[in-house]
Amino acid sequence: MARDKIYQEEEFPSPLLQLWHNFRQNPVVMIGFGCFIFLVVLAIFSPLLTPYSPIESHLDSLLLPPAWSDDGNISFLLGTDNLGRDILSRIMSGASLTFGISFIVVIISMFIGVVIGSISALTKGIKSSFLNHFLDVILSIPSLLLAIIIVAILGPGLENTLWAIVMVLIPQFVHITRNAVTEEFAKDYVLASKLDGAGSMRLLIYSIFPNIIEKIISQATLAQSAAILDIAALGFLGLGAPIPLPEWGAMLKNGIDLFYIAPWTVYMPGLAILFAVVATNLVGEGMRHALKLRKES
Amino acid sequence: MLLFSLRRLNLLLFTILLLTLLSFSLSYLFPGDPLINITGRVLATPEQLEVLRQQYAFDQSVIEQYWSYLVHIANGDLGVSMSSHIAISTEVLSVMPATIELTITALIIAMFFGVPIGFIAAIKHKKTTDNIILAVAMLGYSIPVFWLGLLAILVFSIQLGWLPSAGQISLLYEIKYVTGIQLFDIMLSDSEYKWQAFQDASSHIILPACVIALAPATIFVRIARTAMMEVLESSYIRAANSKGLTFKQIIYRHAIRNASVKVVRHIGLQFANLVTIAMVTEMIFNWPGIGRWLIESIYQRDYTAIQGGLLILSSFIFIVHIITDFIYAALNPIARDTHYGS
Repeated sequence: MARDKIYQEEEFPSPLLQLWHNFRQNPVVMIGFGCFIFLVVLAIFSPLLTPYSPIESHLDSLLLPPAWSDDGNISFLLGTDNLGRDILSRIMSGASLTFGISFIVVIISMFIGVVIGSISALTKGIKSSFLNHFLDVILSIPSLLLAIIIVAILGPGLENTLWAIVMVLIPQFVHITRNAVTEEFAKDYVLASKLDGAGSMRLLIYSIFPNIIEKIISQATLAQSAAILDIAALGFLGLGAPIPLPEWGAMLKNGIDLFYIAPWTVYMPGLAILFAVVATNLVGEGMRHALKLRKES
Repeated sequence: MLLFSLRRLNLLLFTILLLTLLSFSLSYLFPGDPLINITGRVLATPEQLEVLRQQYAFDQSVIEQYWSYLVHIANGDLGVSMSSHIAISTEVLSVMPATIELTITALIIAMFFGVPIGFIAAIKHKKTTDNIILAVAMLGYSIPVFWLGLLAILVFSIQLGWLPSAGQISLLYEIKYVTGIQLFDIMLSDSEYKWQAFQDASSHIILPACVIALAPATIFVRIARTAMMEVLESSYIRAANSKGLTFKQIIYRHAIRNASVKVVRHIGLQFANLVTIAMVTEMIFNWPGIGRWLIESIYQRDYTAIQGGLLILSSFIFIVHIITDFIYAALNPIARDTHYGS
């Protein structure tokens, strides 16, 4: 919507609003954002939208190819798997598992990471130096390896996968919050409110967070695409979602044995993961680009 | 340079110490008796356990337990595997070279393709070429690697039949174990079928290495593109331009060298990512490396193996990290002086 300037008054949108104005300039990014919203809606409403139950077997139509092939059946749009379960329904409900859980994972780890990060930015000396080194060590361990080890401690299962990936993602948020807060603390406007007598909690909440929130959100999109891939990888290795659940990675694993006779059982979940990751990456990419634009202006 | 080396070595020591602390605490975190978790001797009699308890100082405080664990690691003793009862150090030594071979090959492939493409994208900044490269790069690091691996097997091994789909070498060839890195071992062996064996081994490595290389390569494209764009905006390029050098001369003589140095800096960080991808790929391609060994240990609930594998694999990643830091410092004098490691 065009914003007419009737008054001479200068407008100063908040940092987040400014980001949005820059963000929506790019059409490709907006398509990605649309897909992202679509996935969120799918994740929430999939139980209402799916044509069949994701675990219901149709024993008279096993391994049906997708509807566009000659042997396909239009009532099973993306075909069925070896137990006669409708792949479309499974992929739709899988959105709330793979994509929805990655969303929850990112929100939990973002919250914990930001709290730890801002506390550590306020402390100085040996404690913070130790934390810094500790974070470096954790960040040097491959995320999937760390997640696998946490799953080995907790035991396999979807809920444990969730906590494992939360723990894997926390250090990244601690790292970025810490750096952003320290950087922001050196600026003059923070000094000004400090001279006004604001305590460090007040400084954090009113002065610093509004100015670093977009950095954290852009990290969150990165973290989410990593989380989707990690959840799917754990599912694929058989350490994540248990058998009947339609998690995308676990569906892929289930399809491997049938790969050569029914390739669509592997194509479809893989494409779903790819779609989710590309949509998330596009949003993140647009966000970083908008951030850069705002800094330059 | 001396101060820089000391700092880096200090960091390496500190990190490995922290990693041992982590792997030591795992023996308490894993389900079961910590002593059995740390030694892996599930079949030990009560008398043997008593001896082990003495050896690992499990009758004393936690700090002394940790110290005796460190002493055991320093002697190369990581316990025995719970499932096969072979020493972990022996098992790791037999699977580690295959992973090193695969990851280094993948790293070379990723850099060989990624970096020049990134440079091209930077030179053609804001043109169609740049946009196409960026779009392909985005697809490249969004593809789940296990899916890509399966598709690659389907297309190149089954439909086209060009490359083998699993393993490190055909079972026909018998290669003596020298370094463990297959391609070197073949060169060192004196078999009369050396050349055929070499061809076979390299055809086995191409597919998994390319699958692993794709995602890091696309990240190298982005790193190289950013580095090149920074260099092209710097004042010495403008100076060279104003002296009347042609664009080609500027790119080849000044820009590529300075941008490449910046790329080297990021190799260490990308390597951890590459090893993660390699772990999954080893599973798909049945590659006898540490990733597959580790994941199989998890299936078997072999806690001692998980502990040792974590320690070795993360140390390996960190050592590569430090080595690239040294290479970067050797190439770039500015990096040596600044507040490094702080």
